[in-house]
Amino acid sequence: MGMGGGGTGGAVSEINVTPLIDVLLVLLIIFMVIVPVTPKGLDALVPQPPKKNQPEIQNDRTIVVQVTSNGAGEPGYKINDSDFAKSAITAKLEEIFATRQEKVMFVKGDANLDFGKIAEVIGMGHTADVTNIGIITPRVAAGQ
Amino acid sequence: MAIAKREEGKKVNSNINVTPMVDVMLVLLIIFMVITPMLNNKVNVDLPKVSAAVVMENANKEDAIVIAVTRDGKTFLGADQVSLTDLGTRVADLLAKKTDAAADKTVYMRADNRANYGNVMDAIDAVRTAGVSQLGLLTDNSLQ
Repeated sequence: MGMGGGGTGGAVSEINVTPLIDVLLVLLIIFMVIVPVTPKGLDALVPQPPKKNQPEIQNDRTIVVQVTSNGAGEPGYKINDSDFAKSAITAKLEEIFATRQEKVMFVKGDANLDFGKIAEVIGMGHTADVTNIGIITPRVAAGQ
Repeated sequence: MAIAKREEGKKVNSNINVTPMVDVMLVLLIIFMVITPMLNNKVNVDLPKVSAAVVMENANKEDAIVIAVTRDGKTFLGADQVSLTDLGTRVADLLAKKTDAAADKTVYMRADNRANYGNVMDAIDAVRTAGVSQLGLLTDNSLQ
């Protein structure tokens, strides 16, 4: 029969890669499933009430970013008391905190808003390299 | 070179070849073993998409304190629904178990993108009474 390869005597010298590819594909699928599950998030701080008998330290350098509700429309944004467009906040925060040692800011949002809007602002703060972002809640504001 | 005789008819192998089936079953078993711990005790919320989110490895651990706020204003501790009045004491109980100084005392917040921020602030206020100051706001981890 001459050239009839794969006959009785001739050993096959190629490695059979099919099981190898099989196993590798399964591993690939398993890791594709696992990787996106690592949770991500934004660090935030909750200010604790001041201890009793301790005078409150007034600080006029505090930065508070406010998100105000406009009914159904886009929310308004304020840094301390001046209005800013949403796109200008990150740049302004970067400008403010570029020369500061203590990178602290507070976020105060209207209770009628969606949480996503406030999360955006906290994200902007982190983009501007503010490491400590405090969340002002009604009871923080009331000093309790 | 007579007509090749086919030999199969002589001895019929009547056993089913179970090897590929076992192969597939084992792969399915491994995939489900990997996926199952990730699916349980998670409240289904639509997390906000935010830039500048950092990886929070600890939020997936067994002892992480995860509070979820859904779109309809319900609060969950882990997988159980809790009222806002109970939330503070239950978080305090959980924190009291973390006696190790190196333990992660962050409380993780899974708030829906469209959850009312007032409800989120109420939940933050509730955990604030438990002495929590570190808050991790979990966000959508899919790629942007």
